Amino acid sequence: MIAAVVLGLYAIIATVTLPKLLAQAQWAERAPRLAIAVWQAACASVLTSPVLAILAAVVPASVVGHGLAGLFEACAEFLSDGPGLSSTAVGVALLAGATVAARISYCAAAVLLRARRERQEHAEMLSVLGRHDRALGAVVVDHTEPMAYCLPGRQSRAVITTGALHSLTPDQVAAVLAHEQAHLRGRHHLVLAGAETLIRAFPHVPLFAQARIEIARLIELLADDVAARRHPRIHIAAALVRLATGRFPAFSLGAGGETALTRVRRMLHPADPLSRRERMAGLISVAVMVAGPAAVAAIPGVSAFLAHHCHRLFLL
Amino acid sequence: MLRGLGDLESAIMDRMWDYRQPASVRDVLEDLRRDRQIAYTTVMTVMDKLHKKGLLGREAVNRAYVYKAVATKAAYTAELMRTTLASGGNQAATLVHFLERLTPEEAAALEAALEVFPPKGRRT
Repeated sequence: MIAAVVLGLYAIIATVTLPKLLAQAQWAERAPRLAIAVWQAACASVLTSPVLAILAAVVPASVVGHGLAGLFEACAEFLSDGPGLSSTAVGVALLAGATVAARISYCAAAVLLRARRERQEHAEMLSVLGRHDRALGAVVVDHTEPMAYCLPGRQSRAVITTGALHSLTPDQVAAVLAHEQAHLRGRHHLVLAGAETLIRAFPHVPLFAQARIEIARLIELLADDVAARRHPRIHIAAALVRLATGRFPAFSLGAGGETALTRVRRMLHPADPLSRRERMAGLISVAVMVAGPAAVAAIPGVSAFLAHHCHRLFLL
Repeated sequence: MLRGLGDLESAIMDRMWDYRQPASVRDVLEDLRRDRQIAYTTVMTVMDKLHKKGLLGREAVNRAYVYKAVATKAAYTAELMRTTLASGGNQAATLVHFLERLTPEEAAALEAALEVFPPKGRRT
C-alpha cells in the first residue's frame, strides 16, 4: 500500500515540479542530447507511476510473495473468476493500464499519420516547384525569403531557398545544410512526434506541455552541435543570424527570438562540455526515472517473496 | 520510375509557366520532344494528374482540352513556404529553422552578438 501511495504522490508532484526544475537546469544547453533524454525519462516516469500505483494497490504483496508460481496461480484464478484476487480491483488496474496505453497508441498514430500525409503533400509540391542540386545535396526553391528546413521521412531531403543562397556565403550554406542533415540523420522528427503525442494524449499535464517546448528547442541545439563538428562555429552563428533576421519581422509575436539568441551565443562562445561527474548524474537520473517506478512497485512483492522463501537464510 | 514521373511533372509545369498562355497536350508534347522521346499518352496522363492536383486548369476546345497554369510558380512557392512555416503545430512534418519571427529589437541583438566577435574567418 505504501508503494502505491509513494507512486501516486510522485506522479502528482512530478507533473508540476519537474517542468520547473528541469527548465531551470543550466547544464541542458551544454549537453542537449542528455537533456532530451532527461525530459523523455521524466515523461515516462509520470506515465508509468500512476498505472503501477494502481497495480501495487490491488495486487497484494502476499500473492507475489508466494513466488511466481503463486502469481500465475492467482492470475489463473482471476481469469476463471476465482476468489484469489479481488477480481474487480485487478480489473480496474488492468483497465487503467490498458486505457493509458490505448490513448497513447491512438494519439501516436494520429500524429504520425498526419505528419506523413503533410510530408507527402509537401514532397509532391516540392518535386514540381524545386530542383535537386547535386552539389549541395539539397532541394533548391525559388523564393526570396531566406529559409532552410528539412523534410523528414522516407524521401527525406534538406530544402533551401534561393533567398538563403543569395544572403549566405558558401561556407554558411554548407553549415546550415549540415544542421538540416543532422536533423534527418538523427530522426529528430520522431523525437518531436513522441513529445507531440504525449501532449495530445494528456493535454493538461504541465510536464508534457513543457517537455514539448523544451525538446523542440534542444533538438535545434543538438543539430547545431552536430553541424559544428565539421563546420566552423562562426559560420553556423553567422548563418543563423542571416536566416533569423532576413525574414520579415513580426510585431505580434513577442518572445520569439530567445532560441535564436541562445543558439548564436552557444556557437560563438562554446561552453565546456559536462564534466564526467555531471554526465554520470544525468545518466543516473534518467535511469532512476525510467526504472524507479517499477522498482518501487516491486518492493513489497520482492520483500514478501524474500520473507517467504528466505526465512531460513534469516534464521541462519 | 516514380521519380521520373515527378521530373516529368516538373518539366511540364515549368513549360506551362513559361508559355503564359493556354496550351494543349500536343503543344507540350512537341516542346518536350525536342529534349526527349516521349509518348502522347504519357504527357496526357501526367497533365491530367496535374489538373487533378489543382495545378492546371483546363477547358474543352474542339473536343480536346486546352490547359493553363492556375497560378504562377512564385505564388505556389510562396504558398508552400507559408504553410511550411505555419505548420509549427505539427513539427513532426517539417523541421524549420526559427518558426518564431523576430522583433526588430531581437534582430538587432542578434546582429550585435555577431558584431562583437572578431571578424576573422568571416566574410560578409
